[in-house]
Amino acid sequence: MSWNEQIEKNQAKLSKQVELLKQVCSDSIEKIETDRDGCPIVWSKKDKNITLLKVMKENSDFSFEFLSDLTAYDDVDGSEEAQGRFVVVYNLFSLQYKTRIRVKCRVSENETIETAVSVWEAANWAEREVYDMFGIQFKNHPDLRRILMDVRWEGHPLRKDYYWRKYQLFNDPEPIPMKLLQEGIE
Amino acid sequence: MAKDGSPEIITTRLDAIVTWAQKNSLWPLPFGTSCCGIEMMAVLSADYDMSRFGAEVVRFSPRQSDMLICAGTIVNKMAPVLKNIYDQMADPKWVMAFGVCTCSGGIYNSYSVLQGIDTIIPVDIYIPGCPPSPEGVIHGLIKLQKRIQSGEYLHKERQRSLLNLGAQK
Repeated sequence: MSWNEQIEKNQAKLSKQVELLKQVCSDSIEKIETDRDGCPIVWSKKDKNITLLKVMKENSDFSFEFLSDLTAYDDVDGSEEAQGRFVVVYNLFSLQYKTRIRVKCRVSENETIETAVSVWEAANWAEREVYDMFGIQFKNHPDLRRILMDVRWEGHPLRKDYYWRKYQLFNDPEPIPMKLLQEGIE
Repeated sequence: MAKDGSPEIITTRLDAIVTWAQKNSLWPLPFGTSCCGIEMMAVLSADYDMSRFGAEVVRFSPRQSDMLICAGTIVNKMAPVLKNIYDQMADPKWVMAFGVCTCSGGIYNSYSVLQGIDTIIPVDIYIPGCPPSPEGVIHGLIKLQKRIQSGEYLHKERQRSLLNLGAQK
């Protein structure tokens, strides 16, 4: 089978899955778009985001059991009718059907969003990175603290209102959290 | 001079012999954090062979070395570690800033990257380049040796130890 045939076959499978998803989770989907590479973007409602993700992982028609990436972007100067400043992005891959799909969810600045750790364990560190860079709070996350920046860092550097040359220099090494020290002893 | 013409006593100044010994046995501590580290290995290995200048005994402990080669981008989170390592080195000690990232931050003009290691520790020789060529590094090393031989560090060392004494009191 050539590459083009393979891609066409996958696209057919994907469009079938998207149609099915519209029927199964119609109450938790806001709209479905397609990006320029033909990858569908599912915009989910914030309060039903986790139920949608759970269905997409556990239902055997979708089985997106692989979380390729969890990231976010600051849409502060996006369209005016858009609700919420940040967009959390879940890139999913189905090992069974070999299809890729993207789920997006809008969060405003002072809101929290339910964590996806209960669905994919791999979301743990990715959500910590999103929290570190954008300051998005994840509800019920097991260990929500900074992962890349220093714990004493003020602000969230990938927000559009963070000045990109605002350096923060620390003379002493980063203090190790008590919890990690105790884990080391055990 | 002995009867057969071989020298037995050489007269010199203490400062001159000390600086001569220091300049010809610089023990480097490699602090390679990115691609410049690979270039540093090229300088140290057989083709360019820094041992011709007496700087081949690479030590991975700050207690045993006297030249800190800082090769590569230093991010803000690494800065306190670098300062710690510099503080642990025994006097006399010299710092070589290897590549533009360590000299000035280089192309990484952003919130996460230290804008030159001279913001946290004193630097004795800057070697620009991205990465610098091995010939450039050897040129820098020879310049550093010349500075050591000129004796300027002897006074700095004395000053530093006096300052340390003052701090202890």
